[in-house]
This record gives sequence, structure tokens and C-alpha cells, in this order.
Amino acid sequence: MATVVIMPRQGQSVESCIITEWKKNKGDKVAVGDILFTYETDKSSFEEAANVEGTLLEILAEEGDDVPVLQPVCVIGEPGEDISALVADAQAPEAEKSEEAEKAAPAQDAAAAEAPAAESMPAAKSVDVSSLKISPRARRLAEKTDADLSRVVPTGPNGRVIERDINRLLDLGLTKSASAEPAELPVPAAAQPVASAAAQVEYRDVKLTSVRRTIAKAMHASLSSMAQLTLNASFDATKLLEMRAALKERAEKLGLPNITLNDMILFAVSRTILAHPDLNAHYLEEEGVIRQFTGVNLGIAVDTERGLLVPTLFGADKLTLAELSAKAKELIAAAQRGSVAPDLLRGASFTVTNLGSLGVESFTPVINPPQTGILGVCNITRRVKEVDGKDVFYPAMGLSLTFDHRALDGAPAARFLRDLSVNLENFDLLLAR
Amino acid sequence: MPKSQPIFPEQAFKPDIIKFSDIPVCQYSKSLDEEKQIYTKDDFLRIYHDMRTIREFEHMLNEVKTKGAYNGIEYNNPGPAHLSIGQEASAVGQAYPLDINDLSFGSHRSHGEIIARGLVAIHKLGEDDLYNIMKNFLGGEVLSVVEKYMPAADNVKALAQNFLLYGALAEIFARSTGFNRGLGGSMHCFFIPFGLMPNNAIVGGSGPIALGGALYKRSNDKPGIVIANIGDGALGRGSVLEAMNFASMDQFTKLWGMDGKYSDAGLPILFNIFNNIYGMGGQTWGETMGFGYAARLGAGFTPTQMHAERVNGYDPLAVIDAVSRKKELLLEGKGPALLDVVTYRVSGHSPSDSSTYRTQEEIDAWIDADPIKAFREKLVNGGIATVDEFEAMDEAIVRRTTEVMKLAINDEISPRMDLDKDPDAIAKLMFSNENKPSMDTTREPQMLMPKDEVPRVKEIKNKVRTSVDKDGKPVSKMRLYNIRDGLFEPIIDKLYEDPTLIIYGEDNRDWGGAFGVYKKMTEAVPYHRFFNAPISEAAIVGSAVGYAMCGGRVIVELMYADFMGCAGDEIFNQMAKWQAMSAGILKMPVVLRVSVGSKYGAQHSQDWTALAAHIPGLKVVFPATPADAKGLMTAALNGTDPVIFFESQRIYDKGEDFLPGGVPEGHYEVKIGEPDIKRPGKDITILTIGAVLYRALEAADILEKKYNLSAEIIDARSIVPFDYTKVIESVKKTGRILIVGDACERNSVMKDMAANIAELAFDYLDAPPVALGSRNWITPAHELEEYFFPYPDAIIDCIHEKILPLDGHVPTHDMGDIAKIERMRRGV
Repeated sequence: MATVVIMPRQGQSVESCIITEWKKNKGDKVAVGDILFTYETDKSSFEEAANVEGTLLEILAEEGDDVPVLQPVCVIGEPGEDISALVADAQAPEAEKSEEAEKAAPAQDAAAAEAPAAESMPAAKSVDVSSLKISPRARRLAEKTDADLSRVVPTGPNGRVIERDINRLLDLGLTKSASAEPAELPVPAAAQPVASAAAQVEYRDVKLTSVRRTIAKAMHASLSSMAQLTLNASFDATKLLEMRAALKERAEKLGLPNITLNDMILFAVSRTILAHPDLNAHYLEEEGVIRQFTGVNLGIAVDTERGLLVPTLFGADKLTLAELSAKAKELIAAAQRGSVAPDLLRGASFTVTNLGSLGVESFTPVINPPQTGILGVCNITRRVKEVDGKDVFYPAMGLSLTFDHRALDGAPAARFLRDLSVNLENFDLLLAR
Repeated sequence: MPKSQPIFPEQAFKPDIIKFSDIPVCQYSKSLDEEKQIYTKDDFLRIYHDMRTIREFEHMLNEVKTKGAYNGIEYNNPGPAHLSIGQEASAVGQAYPLDINDLSFGSHRSHGEIIARGLVAIHKLGEDDLYNIMKNFLGGEVLSVVEKYMPAADNVKALAQNFLLYGALAEIFARSTGFNRGLGGSMHCFFIPFGLMPNNAIVGGSGPIALGGALYKRSNDKPGIVIANIGDGALGRGSVLEAMNFASMDQFTKLWGMDGKYSDAGLPILFNIFNNIYGMGGQTWGETMGFGYAARLGAGFTPTQMHAERVNGYDPLAVIDAVSRKKELLLEGKGPALLDVVTYRVSGHSPSDSSTYRTQEEIDAWIDADPIKAFREKLVNGGIATVDEFEAMDEAIVRRTTEVMKLAINDEISPRMDLDKDPDAIAKLMFSNENKPSMDTTREPQMLMPKDEVPRVKEIKNKVRTSVDKDGKPVSKMRLYNIRDGLFEPIIDKLYEDPTLIIYGEDNRDWGGAFGVYKKMTEAVPYHRFFNAPISEAAIVGSAVGYAMCGGRVIVELMYADFMGCAGDEIFNQMAKWQAMSAGILKMPVVLRVSVGSKYGAQHSQDWTALAAHIPGLKVVFPATPADAKGLMTAALNGTDPVIFFESQRIYDKGEDFLPGGVPEGHYEVKIGEPDIKRPGKDITILTIGAVLYRALEAADILEKKYNLSAEIIDARSIVPFDYTKVIESVKKTGRILIVGDACERNSVMKDMAANIAELAFDYLDAPPVALGSRNWITPAHELEEYFFPYPDAIIDCIHEKILPLDGHVPTHDMGDIAKIERMRRGV
């Protein structure tokens, strides 16, 4: 399997490095330890040596390129190997790419040989921290930096966690409190107003705007009158990111708008939710009915200067991806300008809100009554799944679905999430339908 | 091997007969009338008084030991008490003709000599001198106790007698008001102002040490003689026989004079055997030795037979006669001399001795012959003094002994060292840490030519002091200033600075030292300052200890570090301990050069730094560069502490790789105890001891190139003392440390340092500190050494297996835990 070589992180404050010289050309044979390229930070120069042997199949950054750390720089593999996916992945600059794990040196002594070869890749499943052997220095570093030890892969002698393992966690942003790098989703909305931080002795009174009053009433009514709960799930965003990258690359040629990940999620929701009518509905207790809609009118939560606005994209299920993208852009722009028609601020059958760009891993969106559900879109984190007995790294995008338990039960809501995840993971098939 | 004395076959094969002259055995036969011509009544009575004082003093100790009380005063003395009851006439007889310029070194059974020599010195010294000695000793502390608490003395001499008995007893009872603050005790008590040099608890320990005292007298032209007081049991000790042979060397009379330029006297040393016929319980006359009369030994060492004779040690006047004649011979330059003073120890070897090895009949016969009783009867019968006079004297002696004992056991007046109040009180005495460039600034050093004419000095002037020249090319071996030169420079400087400095060892002169450090120096230094020693490691080191005790500075060399075993007692018990055992009274400016071999197999390739470092009281250094060799030798030679100076034969030829300006020409010290960062790095610290520095640098190159790891290389340079600050700082930075040395790994200095670093930097460590030494085997042949000593591959394997797995590294040494446990289980 081909290996993507990434730009190492030389110190916590370094964000990118410039490639100064390629020592190998595309197609060259490389051995372990061969210098692939040299690169420099503002302070010093380094050499990057190959950790695997094979052929340099692809060079993804040229001399003089400023490459963000942890971004792919080249691919090493066997001649003829299909690396298109890797390369496409690597070339999608806005999205996170999966990294190939660096192989830890195979254990040599008899004792260590019995242990399975470790890969220096953070664990998908959390490990029992109390059972870890950790060097004092590594433990100190972990404590100081809040690194998430439950994700650590030990590479020291006899399975000891050593300093470099913690640094690796930090390189990947795997801390207990903070998240990994947020997915770059150009989504403007925030479903909830952000609370102001520190208490101050001095203050000023700001008069409540009508929008604020409306939001306040709606949110309070929502939470006080409904039986809301939230389910969290995630899906493998690999293909979604590939497609987004591909679409972006060809946007001009094909005359497409800039289709964002959020557009694609709206699209997938519009195509999935019709099979789950209790979520594309209004719960009308006084009338004694659940009004299931036959079309999909998607509310899009937009963070504006005046506060949260949720314009509605009517008939989303009838729109092509390009149309949906264009219309959503119009609506969002209008909402931000404050020129959105009042009619467009109501009538949604289901709402989507996105805090992923702000690094939120999961949250509990608040339903806009009388709707029965709202989908929260979270950021992309890196996770590991087992494929053919091997741990494979993939970008995982989180979804948080709040639903009204009065209208439907947990299992149907979960099924929607599952179906949505499947559709997002196979977005190409969804498009083909 | 001087060229001035060629030896040809006809001379070597010339037929001859070795003839011995008669050795007198108990030939003293002066009549009382004759003796009256020599001694006054006062002299006779003084001899009795001194013997009786010793007897009472030891009787008191015996009572305390065996009955827990003396004269009704209870006391428990847990310490040793090796008594000499029966031997008093020998001690007093010897002391009688001596003065304070004569130095005597004794044994574990030397209370008698202390008192005898002390009383004679008091008798001979003027009152002012005497009082000043007491007043200046340990800040007057001992004197003030005696002045304050003893019944007022009639005069300074009586006061001094109280002082002597109290100082000795307080020392025996481990009181801080004792002569050595209680740190020496019964077996090591001494008092230099009276000529009483340290007594030694190692049987025969004073043999080689007294030899050093005699060298001091001889090389520095000091008045007086030196006596090695040893027992008959000590004649079984190699170190004693080495010392006798060393003292008998022809060169003192044949070469040291340098054609009339200097003295050609023999060594002024008397090997005095207090022959009490038993070495503990082993009977030396009939059981454990074969010489019969110990005096016979003299015939084995010199054509003069060491002027040996056997004397009746129960007759003080016979002993006085013999010692007086020996002293005269020695002062005439006819030394060395040997006396076999037959005596008997009525008391046991120690209070626990139940005399299983001798009959009561034998003991009773000797008690009957009691020298004190006999001498008193002789004087009474000869009309020299009356019984009443003796009884009055006895009574005064008992009274004084009782007073002294009361004072010495009083915890208020004679407290023990207060380690609660001053927990470092002993620690402070382990090293003197003085900077004393010359031990005697009143004299000009004796040298044969101006310094700038010394051939070696001229040679070094033309050498390049860096390993590469101005163009960056390696300097040729012949022009390179190397580690030998780094050692030589401060040594030659010191010869021109400190008149007391003498240098000796095996093949030092002419040859220039087996490894050439003293090359082309011989022409400049007179024999009495630079000479070849016999192959007698114990005598070489032991004599250096004695030389330093007397106030001189000395460099001795043992050629290979492996030979330290031959001088084990002298290094580990003598050189290391005397500064502290003397409560800081003695200084020990001895540099012992030892060289770690290479290519010469199991008995010539060992790094024994751990042995030296284990014994408290020794400074231990191991430089690996010319600049450090020079700086550390300078520091060692300016100091007053014993330094074991390790060198490595692998790197004598090394030039200066590190200091960009090369080895400085002027005088500078490298502080003993200060490690040095030879190459900065950030990923792992490698702390090296000795020559392995260069292999560690090679390993660092590999780590850098192959594994992108930057290693910080720290050269320990010193082992004791050792400042960990730099190392800990480095470990805080790198989180990892490997300590490498050429010593066998088990119990090595590397292991000790690893344990200390683990304690001191635990929270900063990413892996345990790892020690890498040689295998716990014999050193194999040179061709197999890479399997034994740590080479770069082993260093990298060790890092890979124990500290930081290196991507793609395939180790060749099995350093895994299972292999390690198995090796330890097998003891290899």
C-alpha cells in the first residue's frame, strides 16, 4: 500500500515549511533513510528521510512551496499502484487528508518480538490510561499539554509511552479538551447564540432587539414545551471531501457555483429525510396531528450580525445540487444582509445548523417548533477504523440530531441518522439517483 | 637501567661467594657500673617512670575492657584496645635516644610508643616550645581541657604530660578533644609535633609509609631519622618486604649523588620489629615464619645486612643502646637498618583473646620476667633509688591516670563530635580542598638546568596545539601536541615551582615512563626528585602516602591501572583515609597516575575507576583530551588531596579536537568535578567516562546522519567529585541519557551515575538512564575487543533497545531484557 509522506511538524509553533530541495525525482527508487527532500522553517533547515522503501510515485509540492505541516508532500509506493484516491485526497487543500501511519521500528529483542508491531497512530478506541507504561517525561508533557492519553500509541522500549508519542498526539491535535483541526466548512450559521464570557463589574445595558426577543421566546418555548433529545453520530467523510475537492477544481469549467460541504449536506438531507416522514413534519398537539410534509423545506440556520436567522429553502428535494447550492447562497447572503423576505423565515419542515467551522465536535441543537427535528453538523476529526485487519485513518464528520420524542422514538431517529450517514459516505451514488 | 652502569657478562658470570657477617643476638652486656657512666639517677628514674606510665595507662584500658571499671570508675569502651603490656621497655628504650626530628610510624599496638616518645619529647623540649606546641594544636582545645579541669600542674612539663595522656586517651575513647578529634581512635592515634607519625591498623601498614617519610627526609635534606615500628607478624606482609627492598636500593648511594653534586647517603630508615613472637595468635618463631630470628631478614636485602641485630626488648637499656647506634648509622648515611627487638605481649592480642595458642606456663614465665619489675629491682639493688621513691612515683602515676580517665570519659568536658549540630562535620574532613601551589615556598627547587632548556620543553614549543592546522589538515603525529604533552607541561612546571615535588614509579627515569609522559625530562631533574622504583606497587603508593604525611608533594605512577590491586591497601586504606582520620591535620598531595591499557588482554586493559570511586577520600579524574589532561593535572598538582589520575593508552596520541584555539600555553586549571559538554545536542545525552568519548562522538555522527537525532556529548572528566548540574540540565532538555565507559558494566561508575541521574531528574526522563560499559568478562585479545568494549554500534544498539527505538535500526547486540536477566543470573 502506498504511503503518503507528510510535512513534519518541527515544533509546536511551526505551521508550515518551505520545501527547499527535492533530493529524489518522481519515479526514483527510495530506500529507508534516503533523504527525500529538504525543507526549512523560519529558524532552521531539516532533511526528511524516507521511512519506507519503494518508488517515489507522486510529488505533491514543488520546491519553494510553502506546505502546511502535516500536509502530504509526496507518495511512495510500488510502481503501477493506484494512488489516485490518495492524490485526490492529498490535493484537496481545504480538507484534512488521511495520513499514513509511520511505522514504528520493529521490535528486535525476543521479549518485544512477541508483541504485535505497533503503529505510531493514535488509537481509534480509547486505551485504558491507567494501564499505560508512560515515561515520567512523557507524562509531564501530557499533563502540561492536555494531550489525550487515551489515544496514545506507545513506541518506546517494551511498549512504553515516550515523549515522541505525546508529541505525535499534539501534532494531531488530540488533546482532551480541544478538538482536532476543524473542518473548513464555509457555513455561516450557528444555531445558538454564543454566551458572553467574563463577568464584569462594569456593564452596559443593551436593549433587546426584536430579533433577540423572538429568538429568546422561540428557544425557551422550544425547550420548555418539547421532549427534545440529541443523538450523535459520525460518518467517513473521505468521499465527500474528495468530491468536494473535485467539484471545486472543476467548478469554473463546468460553470458550477462553489459547492460547499454544507451544500452537500443540505442536499443529502433533502434526499434522505423523505423516507423518514416523522422528522420532515410539524408536531401539532392542539390539532392532534403530526403534519408530514411531502416536500422538503429546509431551514438553514445562519449566524448574522443581528442574531440567528433561519431562512427556508423551499422545495429542496426538487433541486439539483448546483441549484441548491446557488439558492442556499442567495438565502444566506440575504439573511446576512438583513434583506431576507419574512415569508422565507418560516415554513421549514426540518432545519440544518452547522457549528463545524467553529470546531464543535458535538452539540445539542434546539428545535424550531413545531418542527420535530434539527440536524447539527459538527467538525471533522481524525479517527481510525479497521479495514482488512489494519487500522486506517479517516476523516470523521460528526452529526448531532435533536428530535422531539413526542413525535417520534429514538430508533426511527437513529435510522435517519444512519441513512443520512450512508448517503453522505456514498454521495456519488446519491447524486446518481 | 642507567647507562652509566653497564653490566657485562664477565661481571655477571664472575665466580664469587656471598659472605655474610655475624648478626648479633642479644649481645648487650653492660654492667650496672658501666651503665651508671651513661645514665644519671634522673635518667634511670625517668626510664622507670615512662615504662610505669605506659603500664598504668594500658592497665586502665584493660580494666575498662575486661571489668568495665578502673579504680572504681565505671566506663564502657566499645572501641578497640590492642594492648602492649609487657612491651613497655621496648617502647621506652626506643624513644629514649630520639628527638622530635625523628619520625616514628607505628602499628595498632602503639599506645606505648605514643606515651614513650611523648614523654621523651616533653623531657627534651624547652618549656616555651612545649607550651606553644600545645597551644597551637587544634586551636588549643586539648590544652584548655587539661588546663581547666586537671589539678594544677607544677610546671609546663607536668602540664604537657597531662596533655599527652589526656589527648591520647580522649582519642582512644573517640572524643572530639582527642588528638585527632576521635576520628582515628586507639589504633591510629598520633601527634606529629612530638615526632609521632600516624599509627596504622593495617598490619605492616607503616612499613611503606615510613619509607615515604625517609624519602622525604632524604629528598628534602631534612634532619632526623625515620622508624617503621612493625610487629613480627608484619614480616609476612609483602608491602613490608617491598618497603625494605625499596629502602635498600643501590641508587641512593650509587646514583643520587650525581658525581658529588648531591648527597649519596642511604635512606635514614630503621625498620624496627617489636617482636612479641605472635602475629595475633600465629607464632612467628616456630610456626608461621621460617626465619627463626627476625634479624636474619636484614641479610636478604643489602650487603650491609641492614645492620641488623636482635636485642632484648625486656631491657630498656639494651634497647636504648641499640637504637642509639642505629640512629648514628642512619645519620651517617648508612641506612637502612633493621632491629629485631624481642619482647612479649602478656596481654592478649585484644581483650577478646583467650590465649588458646599459648600456655599459661609460658605467660607466667614472661610475667615473672616483667621488665618494669626487673628494672625497678635492678635500680633498688644497685642502690640507685629506694622502694619508697618508686612507690611514690607509682602512686602519682596511678593518681594521674585516674584523673585523665575521669576527664576523658566526661561527656560534658570531652564530648564526641556533634553530628546533630554539624551533620557535615566528618564530610568536611574528607578532602582538604586547599590550593597550595608549593608545599614549601622557602626553598628553591633543585633542578639541573633552566626550564626552557629542558629537551622536552623545547620539543613541545614546536608542536601544534590543535589537532588540525590552520588549513584544516590533520597535524602529523610527530608535530601534534598530544595528551602526553598535556600531562607533561604542568608536571615540569610544578617541578620548577614546588621544591618538595618528587616523581617516581616503575621505569619513570630514562625510559620516560612506560608510555612516554616523562620523555626527555630525565636530563633536567636530579635523581632525588625523579627516580625509578622497584616493581613494588604497595611500596610505591605507600611511600607516597608517607611522603605526603611529612609535608611533601608527590606524583607516583603504577603504569597499568590493573596494578592497583597490588597496592590495594595503600590506595584504599591509606591514601584515601588519612586526611579524615587525622581530623584534617594531615594533607595528602599525592597524584597517583594509572593508565588504562589496551590491546594487552585480561590483566592489562581494565578500567578500575569504580574501585577508586567507591572508596571515600579519593579524588578520581579521567581526562580524554590534551587540554583537559593539562587542566586536571594542574588542578591535581595545586591541590592538597589525593587524586587517582586515570589515563588511557588508547588516546595518548590524541591532539586537541575541541578547543578551537588549541591547548592554552599558560597555566590553567580544569576544576576537578566539572564535566564538559564536548558537543551540544538536543535529543539524547551521552555522558562518557574516559577514552570512550571518541567512540561516543562516532555514534553521535551516526545518530545524526541516519536517525536525525542530535546527541549531546558530555565528557565526565572527573568521577569524584562530580557536579551533576550540567548533566541534569542536559537531561531536562533531552529527556534521555546513556552513560558510557570502558569499565566492566557491573557496579561501574556508569551504573552509579545512572542511579543518581534517575533520582535527580526522574520527572524529566523519557527512558531510564542507561549505563553501558564493557561486558562482565575478562578483556579478550585486541582482535576481539569490539565484542567487549562499547563501540559505536553497541552505543546505538543500546539507545535503540533501551531508550529510543530508532526507525529501521537493526541491532547486532542482544540488549533485550531477557538476555540481560539471563546474563545477570549467570553472573556475567
